[in-house]
Amino acid sequence: MSLEEGKIMGTEEIIWNAVATFLTLCIFTFLYKDNPFYKFAEHLVVGVSAGYFAVILYYNGFVPKLITPLRQGEWVYIIPAILGLMIWTRFSKKWSWISRFSLAFYIGSGTGFAIPLYMQNYVIRQLSSTMLPVGFTTWALFTNILIIIGVLSALIYFFFSKEHTGFFGGTAKVGIWTLMVGFGTGFGLTVMGRVSLLAERVVFLREYFIELKYYLYILFKYGLPLS
Amino acid sequence: MREFPWRKILLLLLFIYLTFFSVSKAIETEPPVETSSAVQWFNPQRINVFIILILFFAFVLYFIQRAKKGESLFVRRIAGLDAIEEAAGRAAEMGKPILYISGIEDMDNLQTVASMIILGNVAELVASYDVPLLVPICVPFVLTVAEESVKQGYVKAGRPEAYNPNNVKYLTQEQFAYAAGVSGIMLREKPAANFMFGSFFAESLLMAETGFSTGAIQVAGTANIHQLPFFVVACDYTLIGEELYAASAYLSREPKLLGSLKGSDLAKFLIMIILLLGVVLESFGITKFSSWFFVQ
Amino acid sequence: MNFYEQIMNLDRRWVYLVIGLVVVITAIFPFDVPLYVTPEVRSVYDYVESLNPGEVLMIGVDYAPEAMAELHPMSYAITRQCFKRDIKLLLCCLHQNGPGMVEQVISQVSKEYNKVNGVDYVYLGYKPYPSITILAMGQNFRIPFPEDYYGTPLDSLPMMGGITNYDNVKAILNISAGSATEYWINYANGRYNAMLAIGVTGVMTSDYYPFLQSGQIFGLIGGMKGAAEYEHLAEKGGYISREKDQLSAYKSMPIQTTTHVVVILFIVIGNIGFFLSKRKKSRI
Repeated sequence: MSLEEGKIMGTEEIIWNAVATFLTLCIFTFLYKDNPFYKFAEHLVVGVSAGYFAVILYYNGFVPKLITPLRQGEWVYIIPAILGLMIWTRFSKKWSWISRFSLAFYIGSGTGFAIPLYMQNYVIRQLSSTMLPVGFTTWALFTNILIIIGVLSALIYFFFSKEHTGFFGGTAKVGIWTLMVGFGTGFGLTVMGRVSLLAERVVFLREYFIELKYYLYILFKYGLPLS
Repeated sequence: MREFPWRKILLLLLFIYLTFFSVSKAIETEPPVETSSAVQWFNPQRINVFIILILFFAFVLYFIQRAKKGESLFVRRIAGLDAIEEAAGRAAEMGKPILYISGIEDMDNLQTVASMIILGNVAELVASYDVPLLVPICVPFVLTVAEESVKQGYVKAGRPEAYNPNNVKYLTQEQFAYAAGVSGIMLREKPAANFMFGSFFAESLLMAETGFSTGAIQVAGTANIHQLPFFVVACDYTLIGEELYAASAYLSREPKLLGSLKGSDLAKFLIMIILLLGVVLESFGITKFSSWFFVQ
Repeated sequence: MNFYEQIMNLDRRWVYLVIGLVVVITAIFPFDVPLYVTPEVRSVYDYVESLNPGEVLMIGVDYAPEAMAELHPMSYAITRQCFKRDIKLLLCCLHQNGPGMVEQVISQVSKEYNKVNGVDYVYLGYKPYPSITILAMGQNFRIPFPEDYYGTPLDSLPMMGGITNYDNVKAILNISAGSATEYWINYANGRYNAMLAIGVTGVMTSDYYPFLQSGQIFGLIGGMKGAAEYEHLAEKGGYISREKDQLSAYKSMPIQTTTHVVVILFIVIGNIGFFLSKRKKSRI
């Protein structure tokens, strides 16, 4: 039955889902080799998403953040408008130096916001949460040892001011093994994610063909297209 | 006279303490506490962030100054870089070209910048071996930078006449179309070595796998963590994350790059010391040190 | 060529065919998969359960159709749970191809529970540059979003009375497939101390466990498996039902299971072949 509350799909839904099914199968043909069907579907998705983004950006970014305030007499918005226009001079070899002012403002303000917060959230918060008690009395304390060894050895691996020899080199080896375990985890999760996408598409195809079967049955038996 | 085994005794005492007396602390995430923020000129609860940031800036600026003065700053040899020279020699023996791929991002991505620096050094090396260097490019703006890097490399090697501008060409900006184009070059030209340095996404495995199937030596480097597993399995050498930037600093000896690398090394060293100290104190039940690093 | 050398040189299209057959056969003959609910998913569910009717929860839906398979089930389950418990929702979208995703969820689920736009939920819409938008919302939602997605000024919406910034929402749930999660952690939680939980794709899940451990996020729903766990909890709580076909992530779990078994088998066989052929080469 349909995804929604046991209703059978109407004609419009059948047609649009047929388009989705066709495009899904076009993309799957790439598994055999590159072909015009795959190229068609790929170019369609690139074009549609670019066009969709352009329209969304215009109506959700440009109009409410520039055109509407200017119409309401908030002339201060002219300043960011001019900075934005200055970036377009990048396309001219003669005038591209003008774009550096806008880029300097953008990069400077972005960096100013980002650096302290990245230091706080990615370094200091992580550092304080990694300062864990270690021991052999409980399983939790023992696993903390593994965490500390992993963190320290990985940091040592990325230490470039000393050659990886002796004890230092041995620790760096432990570090690279820790990283490999991490990469394996990431790889496994990536495979899981990709399989999820495939599974959802196959479930969609299965449900569409079941719906199509019911639709055609009703159409040929009663001659009535569903609205 | 035998030395008193201080180290062994200390280790034994530590082992006994950790086994029988170590403090067990709840390590589950504490229940979330709702807080609110208010506008203020200086947030005293962030003083720790401020101090650490100032220290980090100081480290980097100090080493940049030292590098600018011409001081020799030691950076260890990166394993993958040795393979580049070996690959160039192998390509010369086999009479086959070398393929260099610089990623799919624009010059505003630091990985692409690092890749261009490495490209210049690779160009200088292959020029001396008289091996063709093929450089397919994904982003139009990167093409101009790549052409300049390769040309400068050949000039530095004293072989400006050997530079062939047709070998550095723009393919397409579309991700999988670029991967298909690069795979086609690998299958037709059968390069002796493939170098992939830069920012890669889902196309990384397609290119690395095709290169593996042709039997080329492959050296890759990227800071995109999700692509590293694919490079690690398909390539002979992989530069992981910061090693890519370290390689560009090592090869170029540019003061700012070297200074940043050494500064971040010193910061890492400090972090390791702080971490060890924090762990030891936490294990003895002293939480005041680690609480200074906790951000409210 | 012996068996293992043949496996090492196998055309990848045979692997695709086997995986494809396994997926199709499992899709035609599904079976029930027992689910273990992880603590990080349960903590999100329990937090939503602890909210009182009338309290406001913010949901940042930042994904495009390509991540729909993994993240749409989470959005549906959480929205149904909130609406059944009369929790008000404040939604926004920071992904350029995502506004339609939010619209699809909210328009369908609001009809199921007779929820009214502006009274029971507000959909702010999409704005570019997630970092700037998140920072601005920390001061006042009206700075980046003077109007909602449908063009209505926020001040004229009954629900937005008394809601200025993150201090007035109980928590933020970010369901994202891209870098927006990073910005929510850095800016919403890092700068404004907003309570934050995240739902991300499988690929991104491992990146965010350190933040769970450090307490910067209080919950993490990872990939389709995480979505299935949440659906399982929501079904037990009576918020969604199998009869109404509302467990879309759970439906895919049998396919996940069988496909993973096949992939593991291929990896084991491939590795055995690799080590055997390496040993043979070293003998030569």
